[in-house]
Amino acid sequence: MSTGRHDPANAVRRLSVLVGVLSVPAFVGLWELVARSRIVNAVLFPPPSTVAVAVLDWIHSGQFFGDVSASLFRVTAGFAIGATAGIVLGILTGEFRLISSLLSPLFHILRPIPPIAFVPIVILWFGLSETGKLFLVVWGVFFTVWLATHIGVQKVDRGLIRAALMLGTPRRQMLSEIVLLGALPYIVVGLRTAVSISFYTLVAAELAGAFAGIVYRIEIAQQNMQTGQVMGGLAALGLLSFVADRSFAAISERAVWWR
Amino acid sequence: MVAMMHNPLRPAQPLRLVNAPPSASPATAHAIIRVEDLSIVFDAPRGQVVAVDRVSLDVMPGEFVSLVGPSGCGKSTLLNAMAGLERPFEGRVMVAGGPMLGPRPDVGMVFQQPHLFPWKSVRRNIAHGPRALGKSKAEALRMADDLIEMIGLTRFANAYPHTLSGGMQQRVAIARALANQPRVLLMDEPFGALDAQTRAVMQDNLLELRDRIHATIVFVTHDIDEAILLSDRVLIMSAGPGRILRDLSVGLPRPRSSAILTDPAYLALKRDCLDLIRTEGRKAFEQMEAVT
Repeated sequence: MSTGRHDPANAVRRLSVLVGVLSVPAFVGLWELVARSRIVNAVLFPPPSTVAVAVLDWIHSGQFFGDVSASLFRVTAGFAIGATAGIVLGILTGEFRLISSLLSPLFHILRPIPPIAFVPIVILWFGLSETGKLFLVVWGVFFTVWLATHIGVQKVDRGLIRAALMLGTPRRQMLSEIVLLGALPYIVVGLRTAVSISFYTLVAAELAGAFAGIVYRIEIAQQNMQTGQVMGGLAALGLLSFVADRSFAAISERAVWWR
Repeated sequence: MVAMMHNPLRPAQPLRLVNAPPSASPATAHAIIRVEDLSIVFDAPRGQVVAVDRVSLDVMPGEFVSLVGPSGCGKSTLLNAMAGLERPFEGRVMVAGGPMLGPRPDVGMVFQQPHLFPWKSVRRNIAHGPRALGKSKAEALRMADDLIEMIGLTRFANAYPHTLSGGMQQRVAIARALANQPRVLLMDEPFGALDAQTRAVMQDNLLELRDRIHATIVFVTHDIDEAILLSDRVLIMSAGPGRILRDLSVGLPRPRSSAILTDPAYLALKRDCLDLIRTEGRKAFEQMEAVT
């Protein structure tokens, strides 16, 4: 009989854990080595240590907090407005045929246009103001959430609607409880997709011209050939996006609480 | 009227044709459900389909009436019309003196699937109706707790529906329909999706429950044993278009139990029903063959 120590499946599992833990440090180490070995130009491809110093400088300069909060505000406010509008209009178009006939064709024409393509016209309309940036994020989030809600509402179990009707459920409660909660599993999936879309559109919005923000800082650093700062900005953006996605995943598991 | 009186089967077993106009029976003035010349027509890809064809029937207060017939005979459509979920093409449905223009809280419904709200606990599912009708939260929950005790699910009061078995879910659905204290309870093959053992238990439960709730019950099923065991009257429907073929009174004493399944009177009734349904089933099958 083989003990746990010599069990081949167990050995593979232990090895996998070890490799998983070492994966990122090994990659960073290799990067440091390659960048310092003069195989590549260290100005264009700085080692991680240089990136770390750049990030520390960024924090000490006092700009880090302002940049992160500016970006975070645009993402969260844009997401909140776009998602709320998407859910409300999705319920209306999903539930009322007349409203759907009025709005759905329009939404289906506008939805496939990548939100980033609206940057030029947004600059014409709003200049470099915050409104323009919010507009882009709201635009990107809205269509995803609207479509998910619209489909979710149409997939609500008709049996639940009939049961609710037979119990005398008033019209308003029918929409705000039976239809909304019946569609919630779909809405949550749409919202999670919209989280990453809100970051895409944030990048476009800040590249178009801003006075603060993580992507704005990346662009300034690029113009000054501060490659370490560019990479530090990318890391900060990646971390922020990762945390947003993870926390949303945790929230969405609790959102459909009856499962 | 004439046909009814001269029906040779009538002395032996109370059997009567119901195609006579509703005014024929003197008792109709007190009927709680009156269906008058009801026709329901559906739009189908190949034109219109008559699901219910000029059906008239009366149900007395406190009666337990079953609608039996082959699948597709329109029995569920007829029930939905009584529920206000289906609008008449012709004729009308009156419940407690008023026409059914839409769902009404004094008419409860239990479907083949429980259709419980998955986001609500057993307690809150049952309290949904009273809350919707404007009862206070405390009162609605108190009513729910009483009903939960009646269906024997006290231990599961705070459980979510997906954690319950099919039979338990259907008991909750019945309690939820009863929470609005309906005068009429409509049941559309409520035990059709359950296994045979659970179904037998549910039938016994319903017989018990019925003595305590005083509601008029209309019950759709394709199971003859179930119909005779539970009902005061069994209406046998014919297939496409749906009509009522026979109106059989079940004169078996109450309280009943599954012991009556071997009673000679019961067997005679069942034979009658089976013969009728077999003939009808064959007719429907041949019609379908002819169409396709």
